[in-house]
Formats: sequence, structure tokens, C-alpha cells
Amino acid sequence: MRFNVYQREIRGEIRRLVRDPVLLGLVAVISLLLLGFIVFPLVKVVQHSIWPKGVFSPKYFVQFFQRSYYWRPLLNSMVVGALVSLCGTAVAFLFAYGITRTDIPFKRAFRLIAIMPIVSPPFLIALAAILLLGHHGVITDALRLNWDIYGLPGLVLTETLAYFPIAFMILEGVLSKIDPSIEEAALDMGASKLRTFLTVTLPLAIPGIASAMLLVFIRSLEDFGNPVVIQGNYQVLTVAAYHAVTGMYNMPLAATLAIFMLIPTLMIFVVQKYYVARRSYITVTGKPSGIGLKSTERRVKAPILAGMVFLSVGILLMYGVVLFGSFTKLWGVDNTLTVKNYLYVFKVGGQYVVDTLEIALIATPIGGILSMLIAYLVVRKRFVGRGAMEFVSMLNFAVPGVVVGIGYILAFNTPPIQITGTALIIILVFVFRRMPVGIRDGIAQLQQIDPAIEEASSSLGAGFFRTFTRVTLPLVAPAFLSGLVYMFVRCMTAISAVVFVVSAGWQLLTVALLYEVDQANLAAAAAYGYVIIGIVFVAILLMRFVVERLFRRGFSPLSRQ
Amino acid sequence: MQKRARRILLIVLVMALGLTLAGVAKEALHIYTAYDADQAEVYIAAFEASHPDIDVQWVRLSSGQVLARIRAEAANPQASLWFGGSNTSHIAAAQDDLLAPYKESLAWQYMPAQFKDPDGLWIGLYVGYIGFVSNTEFLAKAGVDAPTSWEDLLKPEFKNEISLAYPFSSGTAYTTLCGMLTAIGSPDPGFDAQDDAYLAAFDKQVHHYNESGSACITQVGQGEVGVGIGFSHDILSKGIAKGYPVVMTFPKEGTSYEIGGMALIKGAPEPELAKIFYDWALSKEAQDLYKQFFRIPLNPAAELAEGSVTATDVQVLPVNLVWYGENKDDIIDHWHEVTGK
Repeated sequence: MRFNVYQREIRGEIRRLVRDPVLLGLVAVISLLLLGFIVFPLVKVVQHSIWPKGVFSPKYFVQFFQRSYYWRPLLNSMVVGALVSLCGTAVAFLFAYGITRTDIPFKRAFRLIAIMPIVSPPFLIALAAILLLGHHGVITDALRLNWDIYGLPGLVLTETLAYFPIAFMILEGVLSKIDPSIEEAALDMGASKLRTFLTVTLPLAIPGIASAMLLVFIRSLEDFGNPVVIQGNYQVLTVAAYHAVTGMYNMPLAATLAIFMLIPTLMIFVVQKYYVARRSYITVTGKPSGIGLKSTERRVKAPILAGMVFLSVGILLMYGVVLFGSFTKLWGVDNTLTVKNYLYVFKVGGQYVVDTLEIALIATPIGGILSMLIAYLVVRKRFVGRGAMEFVSMLNFAVPGVVVGIGYILAFNTPPIQITGTALIIILVFVFRRMPVGIRDGIAQLQQIDPAIEEASSSLGAGFFRTFTRVTLPLVAPAFLSGLVYMFVRCMTAISAVVFVVSAGWQLLTVALLYEVDQANLAAAAAYGYVIIGIVFVAILLMRFVVERLFRRGFSPLSRQ
Repeated sequence: MQKRARRILLIVLVMALGLTLAGVAKEALHIYTAYDADQAEVYIAAFEASHPDIDVQWVRLSSGQVLARIRAEAANPQASLWFGGSNTSHIAAAQDDLLAPYKESLAWQYMPAQFKDPDGLWIGLYVGYIGFVSNTEFLAKAGVDAPTSWEDLLKPEFKNEISLAYPFSSGTAYTTLCGMLTAIGSPDPGFDAQDDAYLAAFDKQVHHYNESGSACITQVGQGEVGVGIGFSHDILSKGIAKGYPVVMTFPKEGTSYEIGGMALIKGAPEPELAKIFYDWALSKEAQDLYKQFFRIPLNPAAELAEGSVTATDVQVLPVNLVWYGENKDDIIDHWHEVTGK
């Protein structure tokens, strides 16, 4: 009985697709792209780990468990991930609580600091940690300490600072949606502040906290930039896979390591998407409540403020020391100020600046439009395989960059699609890796637009594309443009996937930065980092100018994760 | 409003297109180089100055990384020339049939037999000797002398104070490993029981491994670690000449050495341009540039920097570079087993 209903539904959807050839064509093209550039590389990874050279052999899986230098990195990654997820979410909660639930001063500044690490280049925080807290770091020397930042402590510290902003974004959203009148009610009934916090605020925030912890865990697990600088002898999985490819060209081993990275991240992704995300307790009923925040007691406010100030000063210090380092002659020995590091970057890396900009400027609009099209199809259209399309297009959110990179080499190094060494492969990595965020934002945007507006356009005789470009796109344009800025920023700062697909002909700034770090050329690395920051900053200002001029609306490129 | 948005988009697209066209207008030569980026920049700028029609696009990678990349790109090579780096990696590549011969080169014909491949698959550019670099402030604080033997590296004072690179990614570190295997136990190439014991103990002394061979010199200079192991020319140029508080010492049992190599890549996109660079790299003009970085050029007409470390200054071990090049993968596998890294 039920089966029949399903059948009838599917038949109806197929009939609708056949009747609308534009939609059919679009669905077919996008499905092909998703299969080719998301699924196919992953299939290749699995194939190379279990069928190396075309013969079924679990050799590398067996080796993985036999050899400590293969499985220990997995264990290390898990430990780091768990600790970073805890610490990162705790720091994020402190910031989010302070900003949304108390009346502390300087909220705008704190908020800016809390989201700053999102737009910063990779390695930067790890570099700063070494300059400040290394054997001969500024703080280490000043306090005459004798500690070792390399290894687990450095990993937890740098990744906490790098990824707490993601948790902050989520928690800020969740906490600001908790209606203060509920807390008010608890207080009125005689509950203490602490009791109110523990029995009202915290439980309401639990789904958000769980989401934040899981996402930070994924980010930590797939992080490559910080570990490669600061892991010391505590090797993590991403770096082990990087060595397997770039040091040994052992692709079956790299593919096997990739599988063990993929299993936990995919599990977490599914749990987060289909379980945690559906259990959010939203207490808003449509209109914001009239009750504002009451002033917070000093004894509550003081420790929160102190914690936030401490962390903010720490973050600013990190950016500051790298900026200073980029202007020193010889860090630690001759601190005379000079611009020679920047001259070096433009002499050696001038071509990289051009390549990076060119690739980012091509990838950004393609990725943005493709994301919006997919979001449009998923929200507005009914067709067979819609759920699968959404799942596959969001998949790269959970697939670690290192796995994507390895998959792309395996998939596109030989015909039929031989594109290694070209700019195209880098563009494709950018487009398909950054799409999930664009799609998610697009879906959120489109859900707020009444379909009746589009229906009016179609009933006046406009075709699918006319409606999409003349009605839908202009309506979502401001959000779409700020989405493009986010995409551009991520292209400028990406490292973990693209490090595998750059070539002599096409090189990126972040990879050049990695090579300077490899050679312990810290001042040059710092200069590369600030060149990237400069470009990102200009892009954000430019887009802000364009959006405000064109649409006379507010613009916030960072209100997304 | 709409029109303006569209116009801005158009301008951006045209700009992107323009940049692409500008990029392909010149005749490009793609090379992989194992020299540190700041050095490679000097050599390549000199080449471009004397060959204004050729635009060199280059990527700096450690020599093990170049080998891995050339293996990865075997079906579809992206670069034409491999410039610099320890020749053990060139020998491994030659064995995998990844290099192209160039016996017509005059430089190859004049080069003594020990500095070239008999089939013309690679040629030497310079030689270098492994040395130890120690931070003088660290030595004073720890109350220990700079290491002067391979055994000295196992002293308890150096525990967790040594840094060097991974032998699979870095030619410097692989050359060091070959030296250890030759100096400790039997000098026959490959591992023996004493080598295993030594390497396991040595690994415990290592604070961390780097990707690139010369990185440890800067780290020692900045006091991040106490002792590093690298090529003497790098210790001179990146450590002592820069003003870091470091000293250079050598193992008295004898040290390891490299022949810095160059090779044409098989199936390369620009074989003729690569040959022009190849010939230039062995000219006196090019080899004179090594002077500022204390490398020992193989062109006898080229100048030598004062203070350079040559074969007469140090004891040199009879390291069988050809054997270590041909067996690099097995040696690395065994190194993984012994160290668990």
C-alpha cells in the first residue's frame, strides 16, 4: 500500500521532470558534476586502498593496524580532536554568553576578535605560538619558563584558537534566540542565578553546544596547517597522509589513511545533520520579546569579562607578534625593522599572487552560482533524487581536505579526465569544497522568499532561467554577494586540499607560505601571511562598498561560518 | 542598479581573462628546484637576465618531495627540469625510468665519472658535506661541548634537543642517514644490527623532524633546539653568515656527502628550453653564484668562497651513494620500522 504511494509519487516526479526539459537538463548536468567531482574522487580513494593496482588486497588495511606509525596518528588525531572540541566550545561559550546574555562593554570589539581567526591564513596561529611560546619565544623568555609547546599542548592551543570561532557563530545564534523572559520567569519564581543558568539556559543551549562540539571536532581532525608546524613528534593523521603523498608517493597508503580520516568525520557529519541539528529548542515565536537584557551582577560579569579580555589579548598578541616578525631583519637576533621580507614575497611570490587571485576570482563566481542553483533546486523543485543531491553536495563539508586532495590526484591524473597540473583542477577543488556553505546559506535565503513571487513570474510567461536570473537572484543578491566574499576568502586561505594539486605552472600563496615554513623562514612566512590578510581585507572592503552602494543594505561578510 | 551589477561582474571576468592571457604570452620553462627559495630566486633571476625570452616558472620542494612529485606526474609530467638536491633522489628517479638522457651536453662529457650518471640521466652541480650545527648559548647552559662524533649525538645533554628533517622528504636528512649507516657498525651499505640500535637511540634524542633539510639551522640559530644536522654550506650561509650564535662541527669518524644533481625529466613539456637551462647551470657564470652560498661548484673554473668546507677540510666516509639511491625506498621503509615514525 505504502509502496504504491511511493511508486506513484516517483512516477509523478519523473513525469514532471520530463515535462520540464530545462529543469531536467539542469538536474542532469548538476548530478553529473556532483558525481564527477565529489563522488568519483572518493570512490577512487576507496578503490586505491582496497584494490591497489586493480587487485583486491586488504594489505594496507592490515598494515594500518600492525604498524604503530600508521595507527598512532589516528589515535593522536582523535585525542587532539576531543580536547580541541571541548576547549574550543568552552571558549566559544564564554564569548557567546558574554556577548548575548550580559551587558559587558566593548561587545563589538569582542565579537570582531572572536571571528577574526576565520579569515586568517593557515599556519599563522601556529607560527605565532612558536614565536611567543616556543623554546625561545617572547613569553617563554620573559617569564623564564622551560616548557615545550611542540606536540599535544601546541596542537590543542592553536586549534582551539583557530576553530573556536565556528563554535562561537553557532552558540551566538542559539543563545541570542533564547528568550530572556524564560530566564526571567525562573528568577521570579525564586531560582538563583546559578540555578537558572544550569536548569534553564544551559539545557536550552545543549543542541547548539553539541552541534558546535561536533563541528569543531571535524575541523580539528582535518586540520593540516597547524599540525604541520607544531606537531613535533606527536604526528596526526593529516600530516601522515601528506607525507605518504608528498614524501613517499605511496598512494595506496595515503588512500588508506584517508579512509580512516573519512570514517569518523562522516559519522559525525551524519549525526550532526540528521540528529543533533533537528533537536534544536527554539524559543522564539516569531517576534522578539519586549524584554531586554537586565544588567548583570558584578560577581558574574567580572570573571566573564576577565576571561574574555585574557583570551582577546592573547589572540591580538598572536596577530601582533607575526606582524612584527614580518618586519624584522632576523627574528630573535636582529630585530631591526625592515620591509625586505615583503620585497622578497613580491620578488619570489609575485607570480603566486597573480595565480592565486586569478584562480580565486574564477572559482568564486562559479562556486557561488552553482551553489545558488543547487539550493534553488533543492528548495523549490520536486524531482527524483533531490535528497541525494542535497546530501552529496553537502558531503564535502565533512570530507577532510586532505582526502579531497588525494582523491583528486587519484581521479584526475589519468584519462579520461587528465587535469593535474592545470589551473582547472585547483578551481574545481575550490568550487566543490566551498559549495556546502554556499548551498546552506542559499537554502536559508530562499526559504525566506515567498514562492508566489516566482510563480507570478512564470505565470506571466517567463521561463525557468528568466525567472531565476530576473526574480530569484536579485532577491537574494546581497546575501549572495556576501557569500561570494566568504568563498573568495576561503580560496585565499585554503591549504589542506589544494596542497596536493598545485604544480610548477600554478602555485598558490598559501602553499608558498607552507614552503617558507618548511624551511623555517619565519619572517618570510609571516610576510606571506600578512599579504594574504591584506588581500582578504581589501576584498571585504570592496564588496562592502559594492553591496552598500548597489543595494543600500547592511553588509556582514562574517555573519556566516 | 541591475546594469551596474552586471557591468562590475563583466569587468571582473575581463580582468581574469586578461591575467590568463598575460600569463601565457611568454615562453615558459617549468622547473622543480630543491634549493631553498631565497637561493633559487638568485640563480633563476640570473638565468632570466641572460635569457630574457624565457620565463622560468618554478616550485621549490625538498628533493624527496620532487621525487614523489615526478613519480606522481609520470603519466603527465608538469615540469621539464629538476634543479638541485641530493643526487640519491635523482638516482632513484633514474632507476624508475623517470629521467631523460642528455649525453650531448658538453658539460656532461667533461664531467668526471663519479659526478654523473653513465647514461647521461643526471649530472652533478656541486658537492656538499654534512656537519653539525649547535647553538652556543645552549652549549654553555647545558655545559656540554658541541658534538664531534656520531656517538656524541646520543649524549644525555642532547636528549630532545636535536632537530633534522625526515629522510624521505629531505635529501639532507637522507644523506645524513646514509652517513650514520656507513659510520656505525659495518660500513657496508644498508642496515645492520648496530645501525638499528643506534638509530632507535638517536630517534629518542630528536625533538622534532622537519620537511626541509636546512630548516634545523634556523631553528638552532633561534634557540628552538640545541643541535641540528645539515649541509656545511647551509650552516655557513643560513647560520653563521646570518649572525646566529652557532658553531659548526664535524663527526671525527667521517661525515657523509652529497652530489647536488640536475636532471631532465622524461616526457617533459619543454625539453629544448630545459637543455638551455641545463647548459647554463654548469657554466662558470652560473657556478660562480654558488660562492655567495658557500657551495662547492663542480665546474673547475668557478670561484670558491673563502671559508668553504671542501674535501680536504673534513674526513669523508666512503658512502656508496649509487647503492643508497637505488635502494632508497627499502632504506626508508626500514627507517620507519626502526623509529616508528
